[in-house]
Amino acid sequence: MRYFWLSFKAVFIKDIVTELRARQVLPTMIVLGVLIVWILRMASETASAGAVIIGPVSLWIAILFSGLLAQERSFATEQQQDCICGLLLAPVDEGTIYLSKLLVNVVMLCIFEVIIVPIVVVAFHLDITAHRPALIGVLLLGNIGLSSVGTLFSAIVELTRTRGALLSILVLVILMPMMIPVTFALLAIFNGIDDELAGTGALAFVGSFKAAVGYMVAFDAIFVVVCWLLFPFVVKE
Amino acid sequence: MNDIAINIDSVSKAFGTRLVLKNINLAVAARQSVLLCGVNGAGKSTLLNIIAGLLQPDRGSVSLSGCNINKYAQRAKSQLGVILHKPMVYPELTVIENLSFFADLYGVKKSSDRINELLEEAGIWAYRNDRAGILSHGLLQRLAIARALVHSPKILLADEPFTGLDTGACEHLISILTNFADNSGTVFMTSHDTHIGLRCCKRVLVLDKASLIFDADAGDVDAAAFSRDFVAYAGGAE
Repeated sequence: MRYFWLSFKAVFIKDIVTELRARQVLPTMIVLGVLIVWILRMASETASAGAVIIGPVSLWIAILFSGLLAQERSFATEQQQDCICGLLLAPVDEGTIYLSKLLVNVVMLCIFEVIIVPIVVVAFHLDITAHRPALIGVLLLGNIGLSSVGTLFSAIVELTRTRGALLSILVLVILMPMMIPVTFALLAIFNGIDDELAGTGALAFVGSFKAAVGYMVAFDAIFVVVCWLLFPFVVKE
Repeated sequence: MNDIAINIDSVSKAFGTRLVLKNINLAVAARQSVLLCGVNGAGKSTLLNIIAGLLQPDRGSVSLSGCNINKYAQRAKSQLGVILHKPMVYPELTVIENLSFFADLYGVKKSSDRINELLEEAGIWAYRNDRAGILSHGLLQRLAIARALVHSPKILLADEPFTGLDTGACEHLISILTNFADNSGTVFMTSHDTHIGLRCCKRVLVLDKASLIFDADAGDVDAAAFSRDFVAYAGGAE
């Protein structure tokens, strides 16, 4: 167990230090995120839907696309100088590498959200004072779900040299079941919809804020475990 | 105590329809240094990657000191140091940070002492706080050697370690490899430059057309004649 933590910590710190020095991911995420929020803010001025609907949706879109952009870089650093071989030659369990990379991606998204959430709140005049813990919880669950799949597919795309838009397409398709409860929960937090929703449609299928959180916890658990189990097969050969 | 450091048992490997290794059997004794020669595409790097556990053989198995590389990967890998074509170091990290990172991955205790010792031995002490990304090819190769030795492995695999090095750097690398072998280490290396390779190895193998076609003690081989014949053979084969 001591060895697990030692290698887990080593990979995590290495990735954070590398990103802080290279500054390749965070600035790009912030620029893309602000751009998405700005475009949707302009659109909301003429749209019939209120800011309480477009605001939370723009936040999730910004997180989703900026997150995908960041996660595409997860294994790019390992490809330089064949560093992935250095990792695989070490007596480290492949699952440990996956978990470290997952945590790095979650931390990157958290840092991004610390910047983008206030921008969305100001741009759309949203009130979060009453729901701050719920917002933090929902964003954290969203980060874990997004990063779990994104980390695995980043490895597939980088290590199999199947570059291009494949990562975004695959991740978005697989994340579909996750997107609906996150959207519901964010809309509920910002009073865009009622806490309980009846009727037809994807959001009504989720039903309530509690159910949305339940779905997110379940998807996170499933995605993390399945991706962790699949990761060794991806990195071998 | 198992006296066979590397045991390759009936290993075959194909990429698609192209057979790269055909039923390779080889035993390398502990503390032996072996040079593997072959023309481009002979399968040297593939064999080395299979020994390192980076590639899976289609048939057969590889054991390191009696430990199957696929069944007991972690135990086998802990006794292995590997130098490949690329240095496998992170350009954004400093020389010391790179070595500390790999020392942590291998669970090295009191790693700072070991790292300082290696920085001196590899001749990169003066560059210890420089980022790996700004080092020259020769210095990167020295860092790659230090990285491969950071956990004091029993076996060192080196794939074309002399490529791109100037004479001084080659001499330095030969002294490191010789020193490693003299300290009870096993060396298994590939090299195009048979003349340099023979200087630091006690056994020479030639791989051609997916099979081992030559196996001899380096002492029994006339280095100059072997190098001349090999160059002529390689020129003809290519």
